Amino acid sequence: MATVTPEISIAENPLPGRAAAAKRAYPGALVVVEGIDGSGKSTQLHLLKRWLEIGGYRIHFTEWNSSPLVKSATRRGKQRRLLTPTTFSMLHAADFADRCERQILPLLHGGYLVLADRYVYTAFARDAARGCSPHWLRNLYSFAPVPDITFYFRAPLDVAVNRIVAGRPKLKYYEAGMDLGISLDRAESFRIFQEKILNHYDQMVDTDHFVLMDGTVRVNKLQKLMRQLLVERVDLKQFAPKKK
Amino acid sequence: MTPPRSHSDAGAGSNGRPSKRSKAGKNGSANGSSRFYGMPLPGVRTEDLSGSLIVVEGTDGSGRSTQISLLTEWLEGEGFAVETMGLRRSFLVGEDIDALLAENAVTRTTLALMYSTDFFDQLERRILPALRSGLIVLADRYIFTLIARAAVRGIGRDYLHGIYDIALRPDLTFWLNVRPEVAFDREFNKSQTISYWESGRDMSLSNDLFQSFIRYQSMIKREFEYLSKRHGFIELDGEANVSKVNGVLRKRIASQLGIRSTTYKPSHALAHLWR
Repeated sequence: MATVTPEISIAENPLPGRAAAAKRAYPGALVVVEGIDGSGKSTQLHLLKRWLEIGGYRIHFTEWNSSPLVKSATRRGKQRRLLTPTTFSMLHAADFADRCERQILPLLHGGYLVLADRYVYTAFARDAARGCSPHWLRNLYSFAPVPDITFYFRAPLDVAVNRIVAGRPKLKYYEAGMDLGISLDRAESFRIFQEKILNHYDQMVDTDHFVLMDGTVRVNKLQKLMRQLLVERVDLKQFAPKKK
Repeated sequence: MTPPRSHSDAGAGSNGRPSKRSKAGKNGSANGSSRFYGMPLPGVRTEDLSGSLIVVEGTDGSGRSTQISLLTEWLEGEGFAVETMGLRRSFLVGEDIDALLAENAVTRTTLALMYSTDFFDQLERRILPALRSGLIVLADRYIFTLIARAAVRGIGRDYLHGIYDIALRPDLTFWLNVRPEVAFDREFNKSQTISYWESGRDMSLSNDLFQSFIRYQSMIKREFEYLSKRHGFIELDGEANVSKVNGVLRKRIASQLGIRSTTYKPSHALAHLWR
């Protein structure tokens, strides 16, 4: 199947959707964590961020679905359960585009190390699990810059699901994939939905050069590995505090 | 000039034009798939759609809305139930877009995607149910305006066609073509001012509002000329008088829907539109 790898355009006036020749047209770097809920990705990125902050590096942290711009629409859609797989996906793409154009891209051009808790692969996995065409999704997000590293946190389904279910009194409607009509039982629906997402993630490991991280490894040990990998892949000196 | 090809067309034909046949085959469904440009929307059975989708495109000042009012009355008079759609009319994000436009703090990709959310919310929640019930849907603008507006702002045409690949293909698409100067006169006479967005002021084309409007509308018009060839629009002279344009529209729609008589005289309520 033909897939369109998201790539950043080179010109000052980047055209979304046009694959560019040069991969990196900016001095910054983009580090992404991905994985299903409960895989440990946010914990690990938080620890990485702490480490970089203590070191005084020029970093910026960004999260999936955090833009105030489309918040009211997302809330309305979720509360009243109006979202279809397509509009769910589009609304998140609009939200991401806002973050991309107003935060991520300017920061990358300004020479920041950008840490992203979830990125376009979340949409590729989750929205495909909802029934959107993977090809359509790749095109939808083709304006997004390609990460320098994508850490993919993988934990066995039961481990991940139990972490979420244990810590949360009630799973939300869309979070549990109730809109798919898989099961009337939220916990059961959540599990099946997460399994589908996990399968879609697994399919991207090779195509999108994921760095596979074992989510069952002890937290501090895994963090040590994550820091090592970061140092190997990204020239941290560029982001170090300037000496006077 | 060779028109740019979209990803979705890659397997369709060597000339870059959308091919109904090969896509219908790809999607496996025997009859309905050509009602979509590419893959149908998730969960939609195209064979259930017994109504007709008729699109009227054209810039502000092209007489689009007037014609839609008249066509609605005519069709209802002929016994057809009519549903309408247009831009920013979705329950999901219609008002949010109004707010974004008012603030003018939105970037082009986000705005384009908010418009497509607005479009698909209307399509999935209102238009497809209407078509399933056999209604005639009159669309006051469709994906083409959205594609043209985004394309002139530098968003790739392939990207845009890729997004709207899952949209429903209209049964008829009319384009009311008017010169930008004429559109300017009509809009100015109507509201004594020119809208920020219709004059493309976000694009810094000119500080002079008239110049900005003309340049922007000329760019939009060029996109429409390309879209017209690609999607087989029925181009009408939007500068002709209302009754004449309406006559042509009725004739084409009548033959599409199998209506024998195309005679129509607007009711008292709409008589003021009949120029």
